[in-house]
Amino acid sequence: MSVTQYSSLPCVPIRKVGTEHSGSHRVPLISFLIVALFAGLVLLPVIAHAEVPNAIPPVGTYDGEDVKQPIEFPHNIHADVNKINCMYCHTYARRSKVAGIPPTSKCMGCHSVIATDKERIKKLTEYWEKRQPPPWKKVHDVPDFVHFTHEKHLKRFVFDNEGMPVEHVDEVCAFCHGEVKKMTVAHKVKPLNMGFCRRCHEANGGPFDCWKCHK
Amino acid sequence: MSLSNVLHNWSHFRRDREAGGHHDYEHMWGMVVDLNKCIGCNACSVACYAENNLPVVGKYRFEKGHAQHWMRLERYWDEPDIGDDKVAEYQQYGANFMPMNCQQCNAATCEPVCPVAATYHTPDGLNAQVYNRCIGSRYCSNNCPYRLRYFNFWSYYDSSWPAPLNMQLNPDLSVRDKGVMEKCTFCVQRIRAAKDKAQMEDRVLQDGEFNPACVQTCPTSALVFGDLLHMFNAKYDVPESKASQMWRAHQVELGKPEQHKQNPELRGYRVFEALNTDPCIMYLERVREV
Amino acid sequence: MNIDKLKRRDFLKIMGWSGVGTTLAGCDLPSTVTLEEGKETVTSYMVPEEFVIPGIGVYYATTCQECSAGCGVHGRVREGRVLKLEGNPDSPINRGKLCQMGQSGLQTHYNPDRIEKPMMRKDGTLTEVTWGEALDLVDSKTGSTSGLSGDRFAMLTQTISGHQAVLLDAYLESIGSKNHYVHEVVNNAVWRQVSQDMLGDASPRLRFDRAKVILSFGADFIGTWVSQVHFATEYSHFRTSPRGMLIQAEPKMTLTGANADLWLATRPGTDGVLALGIANILVSKHGKDISGLPYSIQQLIKSYNITRVQEITGVSGEHIVRVADVLGERSPSLVMAGASAEGFEHGYETVAAAMLLNIILGNVGETLESGGTFPFPQLDTRTGNTSDLLAFAKAAGEQRLDVAFIYGANPVYTAPDYLGMKEKLDNIPFKVSFTSFMDETAAQADLILPMASYLEDWGTHVVDYQAGEGLIGVQQPLMEKLYPETKGFGDVMIALLKMRNVPAYSQYDDYYAYLRDAFTSLPAALKIQAGSEKVFWDQALQKGFLTVNRTKQPLATRTVAINLPEMSQDSGYPYRLIPSARLGLWDGRHANIPWLQEAPDQISKVVWDAWAEIHPKTAAKLGVKEGDLLKITSAQGSIEAKVYIYKGIHPDAIAVPLGQGHEEYGRYAKGRGVNPLKILDPAVDKKTGELAHHATRVQVAKVAKPHDNLVRFGGSETQVGRKIVATVTADQYERTEGGSGHVA
Repeated sequence: MSVTQYSSLPCVPIRKVGTEHSGSHRVPLISFLIVALFAGLVLLPVIAHAEVPNAIPPVGTYDGEDVKQPIEFPHNIHADVNKINCMYCHTYARRSKVAGIPPTSKCMGCHSVIATDKERIKKLTEYWEKRQPPPWKKVHDVPDFVHFTHEKHLKRFVFDNEGMPVEHVDEVCAFCHGEVKKMTVAHKVKPLNMGFCRRCHEANGGPFDCWKCHK
Repeated sequence: MSLSNVLHNWSHFRRDREAGGHHDYEHMWGMVVDLNKCIGCNACSVACYAENNLPVVGKYRFEKGHAQHWMRLERYWDEPDIGDDKVAEYQQYGANFMPMNCQQCNAATCEPVCPVAATYHTPDGLNAQVYNRCIGSRYCSNNCPYRLRYFNFWSYYDSSWPAPLNMQLNPDLSVRDKGVMEKCTFCVQRIRAAKDKAQMEDRVLQDGEFNPACVQTCPTSALVFGDLLHMFNAKYDVPESKASQMWRAHQVELGKPEQHKQNPELRGYRVFEALNTDPCIMYLERVREV
Repeated sequence: MNIDKLKRRDFLKIMGWSGVGTTLAGCDLPSTVTLEEGKETVTSYMVPEEFVIPGIGVYYATTCQECSAGCGVHGRVREGRVLKLEGNPDSPINRGKLCQMGQSGLQTHYNPDRIEKPMMRKDGTLTEVTWGEALDLVDSKTGSTSGLSGDRFAMLTQTISGHQAVLLDAYLESIGSKNHYVHEVVNNAVWRQVSQDMLGDASPRLRFDRAKVILSFGADFIGTWVSQVHFATEYSHFRTSPRGMLIQAEPKMTLTGANADLWLATRPGTDGVLALGIANILVSKHGKDISGLPYSIQQLIKSYNITRVQEITGVSGEHIVRVADVLGERSPSLVMAGASAEGFEHGYETVAAAMLLNIILGNVGETLESGGTFPFPQLDTRTGNTSDLLAFAKAAGEQRLDVAFIYGANPVYTAPDYLGMKEKLDNIPFKVSFTSFMDETAAQADLILPMASYLEDWGTHVVDYQAGEGLIGVQQPLMEKLYPETKGFGDVMIALLKMRNVPAYSQYDDYYAYLRDAFTSLPAALKIQAGSEKVFWDQALQKGFLTVNRTKQPLATRTVAINLPEMSQDSGYPYRLIPSARLGLWDGRHANIPWLQEAPDQISKVVWDAWAEIHPKTAAKLGVKEGDLLKITSAQGSIEAKVYIYKGIHPDAIAVPLGQGHEEYGRYAKGRGVNPLKILDPAVDKKTGELAHHATRVQVAKVAKPHDNLVRFGGSETQVGRKIVATVTADQYERTEGGSGHVA
């Protein structure tokens, strides 16, 4: 049986005791002692987001700046109040490496009739009529030499995840994007650096090959 | 790097060597280059420039040897095996063309010498180069017997891609900056994309589903790319790739510095394999009728 | 555990440095170092098509326009930008493959030196204007108020076909002009004429798959002849067991020659003699029956005995006999002739001698087949040549032209100096250049109409060499225009036709509208069952081409009179200049593409430059070594080029590549190397009027002045005994991979 541990202490490499490949092999005693030593120092809530089965959420926080967007898009109204599924707008997440900003036609699908008197909707309609997409600013970014695919992560934590209801996909999105439904304009709350990715991969059995993610 | 990690890897290593190695590979990407068919046209080289964001360095830097042709086409004039062109008045047997790209050696001479482990062997059998980790010591290219590693001596972004040429850049891989070593990757971005697609569709990767840019464009199909994992994993239950069939047919085996073929006249050979690099590219000897 | 066997790489692996890596980069350091928020703009779509997914490329089919072979292209488009071109696997021309020029279509399209707006010459300088002004100017010079008479109007274009050609013809008709000159430097016009006269078909289909031997007199079918990618694929099948033999005879080694089993260096201009000498042995030794041929031909063949041929051509008797033996014993064979055979005043007769070999060997109907007639002559290709350039120059020189439209041709660059093209163009009061780049001709034009690149434009194309089936290649834009003020050639033609109130075209807004309409009549014409018009259109665009039945007739086996002159020597100009086309820069049109400038020449491996190829004997005579500067002088002028020495050229020849020596044409092309076309002698092929490119006589001398280096792709010219490229004999190949032992 494999036992997986992780630590919140910075700059300590994660080591896995036992692997899926190994079949049966004896765990060296010293490893066991080290593990036991650290067991008591586990701080983070291991079973935080109970709605996502078979997943250990990633660790790390980051205090991002508020990014000024052309229209102050309120995620809370859309995702929390109206309970719109993340993937309704960010529809490409399940089929591509990028989640995508929704095409303006998607916004107008509702907002050609809904809340048309509001300031922000008026501004949106202006963009639509000029056939110019609003110049949204990117909030979550990874460096050019990093390759991150949304679709594979969704497959692992949502679609191929037994017991995971699709309606709760925002719990999975929250792993890396934070509680977006509590925000108006999205801002970054997770560091999205390599340590952040590595720890989650370590905890959940993701790939380790450098060339899987670096390009 | 903890003691437990070391110990774990050590036991892993022991098991691996005793059983003959290569057990944990998911694939073993390899190529076959048929020199009977290669016409020396250079399409492979230009396709590689297009696909992999290779900078055009210009005449001055080319002369200094800073060209970044991951796939290069060498041309020799002599005929070491079939005729003595040295005394002939004319080049009567034509030219010897040699497409050369990273051989993805299984026992790569470049991997152990990197001071920061920016180059290593992937579970796909590829020799990986991680650009953001590289510190530019150039020890790896010094060690490569094929001289297939190329160093970015300059930052080429502005000089090689004046707008709007930069719109052509492939977003699937980075544009390397000064101080970074690079080399042929067997178009790992295509490998990765094909594997992801197969995984998303819950199926196995098929032979011929994708090819590196050079293989795809070669007008004579002199380049063949495929998975060689069959050669040492008999339990690999995917239909054997064409490349693997060719390796087998030419009785060239991975893991050996010298081939002992049952039929020594078979054309397959590997370049500089006596140096124990164990390359993953097999060449088929050029043919001339005398 | 055996410490001794522990190798360094394994040690590092154990220490955790292989595959797992350390976490130096993963520490929770402040991440503003590498990650950015709020800096990049994310542009979303407005109303995307359902198949467009950001992050995933969409492939569109089109037809390559980098040369006139018309290969099918699949372009990978992501986020509205075309990023990579691949071959269209369905196209019977290139079957999924693409040459380096095809790959470089991207750099033609994204080239930083493209002209973005129309330009008009005002007070001697070209200034940007609007399309409205530009077309008004054209109207004033060609319209009803201009007083222009049709015969004083001319169009000089590249090889053109398809619906663009239909519009061009319609425009010429509306003006009342018959002056359409079609110009290409790299062409096979003499071969076409010989094929037409002797076989009854100007573009016979070549069955490489049936040939056991190919004898090529300078036809660089792997490099620059007719349809390179198609022939390269055919060649690879030709070389698979049972392996065919390739013999190449030419004065300078082409890419095809570099792949030959036997390469023969012929004295420039004597290829025809060699052909007849081979015919002589075929008759005398191999009993080929020529009694059916005209008496004059029989006598001609008899007169070229081996001693005479050896002396004239410089090819050894042993080799001549060998070639004849191979041709005599292996049937069917295929004999072709290319630029080095065509490029003399007796070029027609040289090619005819090569074609005669085909007749004697019984190849006609076997490896030479009817190419067929394209059923829609208005769409058929108008192939380019150099005799049209000479006719255009003559008309301009005699002041017979008032208006000239130039599209896809650069006569100021491609015309030899003796023609005085620059001065002759000045005789034409109003010149319009349809071009994407400021080339030498555009620099002299009065009006420049900026063309969209082929990746932004619509079109249909019917190529000269159809690979068996007839094809109409379809071209569609792969992305929005980079520069909104550029237009396609078809768009401009529609606009001009509307200006002239030609009723058939007044309903169309642009070329796209015209094509959509033209396509509605195609299913009936092609006799295919199509669904709705939209379905047919979509399917045509998806496939990238339409298949057409070409009616084929059996080929004739006629002979023509062959009179090969004595090759005289001129002591003042002892050498022959060979301006050689190369797969890459072609005739100079691709000199503005950095990839192709940096791709080394296949034979000499020179980059970013031009050079002069000479034989070691010539080098010894001149006392030069590689990289020395040589002055090459003809009676028309001189050029200077750095020397490359190798044994792939006849000692009587000097080869300088085409493509460099531009005086305009953008940052990558300008001021680089030399253009050998400048110093060509005024020699033309007597029968076809084609410029005799290889007939120029020159003298050479070393120049001792400081000059830059000849930069070649480095490395050694020899393998110094190492097994890098190993070669085996064909016998060994057949033993191991022939017949039932055939490997992959």
